[in-house]
Amino acid sequence: MKNIRRWGPGLLLVSPSIILIAIFVYGLIGWNIKVSLSNWRQAQPTSHYAGLGAYRDLAHDAQFRLTLAHLLIFTIVFALGTLIIGWTLALLLDKGVKGEGFFRAVYLFPMAISFIASGIVWRWLMNPAPGDRTTGLNALFDKIGLHSLSNQWYLNDHSVVFGIRSWGMAAMALPAIWALSGYVMALYLAGFRGVPEELREAARMDGASELRVYRHVVFPHLKPVTLAALIIIGHISIKVFDLMVAIGGKQWFTQTPAVYMWIQIYDSSDYAKGAAIATLLLLLISILVIPYLIYTVRAERRS
Amino acid sequence: MTATPTTLPASVPARSRPGWRRVKKARAPAIKYTALLIFAVIILMPVYILIVTGFKGVAETDPAHAWALPHLWTTSAWRQAWDQLSPNMMNSLELAIPATILSTVLGCLNGFALSKWRFPGANIVFTFFLFGMFIPYQAVMIPLTELLAKLQFPAQLPRLALAHIIYGIPITTLIFRNYYATIPEDLMESSRMDGAGMLRTLWSVVLPISVPAFVVTMIWQFTSIWNDFLFAVFIITDPSQYPVTVALNNTTGSLVSAYDLQMSAALLASLPTLVVYILLGRYFMRGLMAGALKG
Amino acid sequence: MAEIVINGLTKRYPNGFEAVKDLTLDIGEGELLVLVGPSGCGKTTALRMIAGLEEISDGDLYIGGQRMNDVLEKDRDIAMVFQNYALYPHMTVAQNIAFSLKIARRPRAEIKRRVHETAQLLAIEEMLDRRPKQLSGGQRQRVAMGRAIIRQPQVFLMDEPLSNLDAKLRVQMRGEIDALQKRLAVTTVYVTHDQVEAMTMGDRVAVLRDGKLQQVDTPFQIYERPANLFVASFIGSPPMNLAEAAIKQTKDGLTVSLGEAEIAIPHELAARNSLDAWVGKSVIAGIRPEDIYEVTRKTAKLQAAMQVKIDRVEALGASLLGYFSVDAAAPRAESVSAIPAEEVLSEAPLTGTSGTSFCAIFEPRAMLKIGDTTEVALDLSRLHFFDPETDASLLAEDEPEKKKKPEAKKK
Ligand SMILES: Nc1ncnc2c1ncn2[C@@H]1O[C@H](COP(=O)(O)OP(=O)(O)OP(=O)(O)O)[C@@H](O)[C@H]1O
Ligand SMILES: [Mg+2]
Repeated sequence: MKNIRRWGPGLLLVSPSIILIAIFVYGLIGWNIKVSLSNWRQAQPTSHYAGLGAYRDLAHDAQFRLTLAHLLIFTIVFALGTLIIGWTLALLLDKGVKGEGFFRAVYLFPMAISFIASGIVWRWLMNPAPGDRTTGLNALFDKIGLHSLSNQWYLNDHSVVFGIRSWGMAAMALPAIWALSGYVMALYLAGFRGVPEELREAARMDGASELRVYRHVVFPHLKPVTLAALIIIGHISIKVFDLMVAIGGKQWFTQTPAVYMWIQIYDSSDYAKGAAIATLLLLLISILVIPYLIYTVRAERRS
Repeated sequence: MTATPTTLPASVPARSRPGWRRVKKARAPAIKYTALLIFAVIILMPVYILIVTGFKGVAETDPAHAWALPHLWTTSAWRQAWDQLSPNMMNSLELAIPATILSTVLGCLNGFALSKWRFPGANIVFTFFLFGMFIPYQAVMIPLTELLAKLQFPAQLPRLALAHIIYGIPITTLIFRNYYATIPEDLMESSRMDGAGMLRTLWSVVLPISVPAFVVTMIWQFTSIWNDFLFAVFIITDPSQYPVTVALNNTTGSLVSAYDLQMSAALLASLPTLVVYILLGRYFMRGLMAGALKG
Repeated sequence: MAEIVINGLTKRYPNGFEAVKDLTLDIGEGELLVLVGPSGCGKTTALRMIAGLEEISDGDLYIGGQRMNDVLEKDRDIAMVFQNYALYPHMTVAQNIAFSLKIARRPRAEIKRRVHETAQLLAIEEMLDRRPKQLSGGQRQRVAMGRAIIRQPQVFLMDEPLSNLDAKLRVQMRGEIDALQKRLAVTTVYVTHDQVEAMTMGDRVAVLRDGKLQQVDTPFQIYERPANLFVASFIGSPPMNLAEAAIKQTKDGLTVSLGEAEIAIPHELAARNSLDAWVGKSVIAGIRPEDIYEVTRKTAKLQAAMQVKIDRVEALGASLLGYFSVDAAAPRAESVSAIPAEEVLSEAPLTGTSGTSFCAIFEPRAMLKIGDTTEVALDLSRLHFFDPETDASLLAEDEPEKKKKPEAKKK
């Protein structure tokens, strides 16, 4: 502590960023909460304290509750899809196949494309239009005789399944799964490759079949990777915005809380309500991420 | 997309079961390749649609020809897309290049100080940064737009660039910190003993071996800034300053525009990041790893 | 060149652990002091405090008369050779060596000349344009030395600089570093846990244990007059044999009973160790393996003979190690240096025999086999005695001129 000349320069080097992050992340979060508690519910900014009115409105807002249901379905399908596919791809590549570089590049390339651009293709692929306006996957299914697979995609909400009316969101998860499976594969592949070869060898020497080597040696090592993937996919899912806008615009059937917040601000000029939604999103992500961050930084310090 | 557990016992230990050996060696990769290829085809399918539809004339974009190759290859849609989007692509370049460079430089300085020139509380500061990577940007968007407007910060594009620089700090810091964690500590100590101070050590010892981290970070930042829609849609209100994502969404969002134009515009808008990815994909993968808080 | 004065140096890590406790040492100008001790005893920590890489929690550090506690490492004019060499991977050998001079903004011509001289001194002239990756371990070691030498600093610090080399190269580099240090006559602190390096290179050796200085003296004195049980058991290979022994008064003088043997102690030895005060009590007696002989070969008045049964032999070629059990309690385990792993293993066959295992260095051609009984004699003038409570040697403080540290060497 006493020798500030030793560590002072390091702190000085980081201090511009500390200030920027303090203001623009933490300061603005605080400001946003203040907006959510204000009476700024029209185009003209006001900043009078108005209590929890905006939050109470949200609690009674059926549309908002629908966006939460959307988010839930989307997150579950998105996370399961990317985890299963990513894990499978990593497993397939683990032992090293010829052309691994090619496959990896193909699986990862969707990461380089914006949801706005890929959303355009997926809107075409998942076009629910019937009859002679059919395009995309429905047209493909018709062509190869799998007519029964044709469906309404993101408009699948008519039937109530398990008391939920929002199954169209499961279809909305497809482009997201397409975009991020490669990412999860990359995580898992690093996890697979991180298992020391000696451990596998030792298990083999003990007479374990390759199946058992994976089950008892390799898979247990992947728990931290799965956790990391879940956190990353989970927080991407909670934030998802541009994909919904690209495919459904502002229409209700693809609305997530993030989209709904945008609508509140741009169409209704209800800033307090928008800020309240944003605050709730932050809360949701914090519950997911903060324990993980603490756990990770601690684990790092321990090693 | 069924997972294929049949391919799981990829190679049964060859030594212990010689009878299996030939069969397994011949068959397992075939199953593997089939599965890998199927996945590859599914993932490339949207690209096929983008390219094929982009080269079709309007007449062929009807549902009857949905999956077919164009009879008549035409570039009219491409030219139209270029006319519409090129100003916005220039905007995006003007935005992404300086923002990428600046946020990368900040990440380098932070990563260095947080791992190699540490001060008491460096870990706390790092966690403090890291959280900024996960926050939903919606939670700062309303005050951010207000603040930028209040500050009379010059034009709209620089405002957007500023936002990208600041909110890029966590990820760039993370990548550099993880990279620098792999540099042995005694290299710094050696430099200190040789009489170098912090900046000199950074410049002469650390920077020359930081090229991989720079490439990774710059690819990552360029891709995310180019592809961003959220910040742009909130911060930019002047249509002449829209970056390409917003412009793309506006031209194609009106469902009336023809498919050929939609597809060619989408591909055109993605070309810069695709080119970067194709040229430097190896580094891209490393950037992803860093995003997972892994060394 | 300068002397180093260390006064009550203490390092307390943030977790409260004290790695170095109240270390006091004077290192003369041009002297090579070896800091030795078991792993984790605080050698590196002590060295890094001198270097300025670790903050000093307590105590004072003077180099060349100037207090250095709050001087930054870069201003201390100290060069350090790291265990892993820490060569800058992107620089050539020449650039590595020249780096410190470049930072000091020396003129280009001077840098060039000094790099050349240094390279010549270390015989690495042909490698000046190579990168560290293209060098062998020994060559890297030389470059690391070169980087230190070129600065002509006040002090060299070396932290186990040879531990990454194979055995043969280590012996060679040991000689080279020693010769170089004598030639340059720069005050040097050399850390090692290899006692051969300590004994062969050091002008003086400082033995450290659990952060506490045990003894500092010339290698000869450390070996001949270990200050306590720890030093006695740490320095020397195989280590000194130690066992509890009772001092008795007989009409002919004092005797010490070691197991069944009753050994008369020469007057002079008894006096030097003030054994009169210990009559009727137990002490720890020690004898080095090379001071035990087979009686058949050599007999002398001062030798006490005892019958022993050989439990194990190790033929090393130049000598033969014979192990036998003495029916006496071993000193407390915490008093002595931990037994190296291989020794623990070799003790396995001894289970069943009570007492303490002793080792003797016999003639290589002694025809001893396991199970043989033979008569051995101890060189009584070389018996050591220690206080079983404090672990300290009973040897009276020496005449002052022997204790004095050696003169600073002349160029
Ligand atoms: N940063 C630290 N925080 C807490 N304890 C530490 C720290 N660094 C070292 N120690 C402890 O201080 C003691 C001395 O460490 P040091 O590295 O000086 O030992 P050493 O004598 O050099 O050992 P070796 O021969 O293995 O290199 C060890 O017990 C070590 O565990
Ligand atoms: Mg050490």
